[in-house]
Amino acid sequence: MASVVPVKEKKLMDVKLGELPSWILMRDFTPKGIAGAFQRGYYQHYNKYVNVRKGGVAGVSMVPAAHVLPSYCLSCKELKRA
Amino acid sequence: MLSRVVLSAAAAAPSLKNAALLGPGVLQATRVFHTGQPRLAPVPPLPEHGGKVRLGLIPEEFFQFLYPKTGVTGPYVLGTGLILYFLSKEIYVITPETFSTISVVGLLVYAVKKYGAAVGEFADKLNEEKIAQLEAAKQDTIQQIQDAIDLEKLQQALVQKRHYLFDVQRNNIAMALEVTYRERLHKVYKEVKNRLDYHISVQNMMVRKEQEHMINWVEKHVVQSISAQQEKETIAKCIADLKLLAKKAQAQPVL
Repeated sequence: MASVVPVKEKKLMDVKLGELPSWILMRDFTPKGIAGAFQRGYYQHYNKYVNVRKGGVAGVSMVPAAHVLPSYCLSCKELKRA
Repeated sequence: MLSRVVLSAAAAAPSLKNAALLGPGVLQATRVFHTGQPRLAPVPPLPEHGGKVRLGLIPEEFFQFLYPKTGVTGPYVLGTGLILYFLSKEIYVITPETFSTISVVGLLVYAVKKYGAAVGEFADKLNEEKIAQLEAAKQDTIQQIQDAIDLEKLQQALVQKRHYLFDVQRNNIAMALEVTYRERLHKVYKEVKNRLDYHISVQNMMVRKEQEHMINWVEKHVVQSISAQQEKETIAKCIADLKLLAKKAQAQPVL
């Protein structure tokens, strides 16, 4: 069950399912780490879908989708009540 | 790209902080610059297309992730199943907003499908103009620097040929010296000859004057010594000689 690589700081796709909790706990939760995570995520999306020569609709449409889904999840309780 | 710049800036910040603890003199002595290999030089070109997505939303990697286990239709079946599950369990509530959402999304999809290519081409044209301007600026700079390099090489080559100039100058100076020397030599010769001619002409004049004086003196004394009587006798003898000569001369041609 223990992986071959001793250091457990691996990318998410390489982490096995059983090690997921320990991997999550090991991440950097300082403000600097969280800001770094947001920065990384933003630049990963930007460099992959926006900062290209012939961009498509993907760079633009993923942003509203990523906004709609969590906002629906947050407001679905009160939608159910009505 | 920008993320890498940010990360490198973040990595450089602690090294600057540590360097500030040293004194200024030590900083200048021990700080070494330009030690790493230059990464991102030349800057790699932008990728041509973005990451592939299906349905405009879901990245291709998700479909590839599910392909080994479920084949081609796996993600679509998953999507359909999730939608039906949310609808049936009322996790997604159908409200009036649902219909407006469906209409708006349908309109957006229609607009994108119809005009997407045209907008893309327009944007590409703007991009290409910008890139052409930058490229022209880059080429101009390269050309200027190349011209500067050529000029520099030319001047270096000229420096190699400077010795011709120096040789010519040296020759000119040598000739001028020679000419001056010969002029002065000639002048000396003329002056010396002048002095010697003066002495010669003085001597000649003295000789001539002495001769004339002597002749005059002799003539005067001879004329003084001829008395009147001697003059009469001399003239009578001359006439007698002439008569004799005339007779001889008459006698000769007859023979």
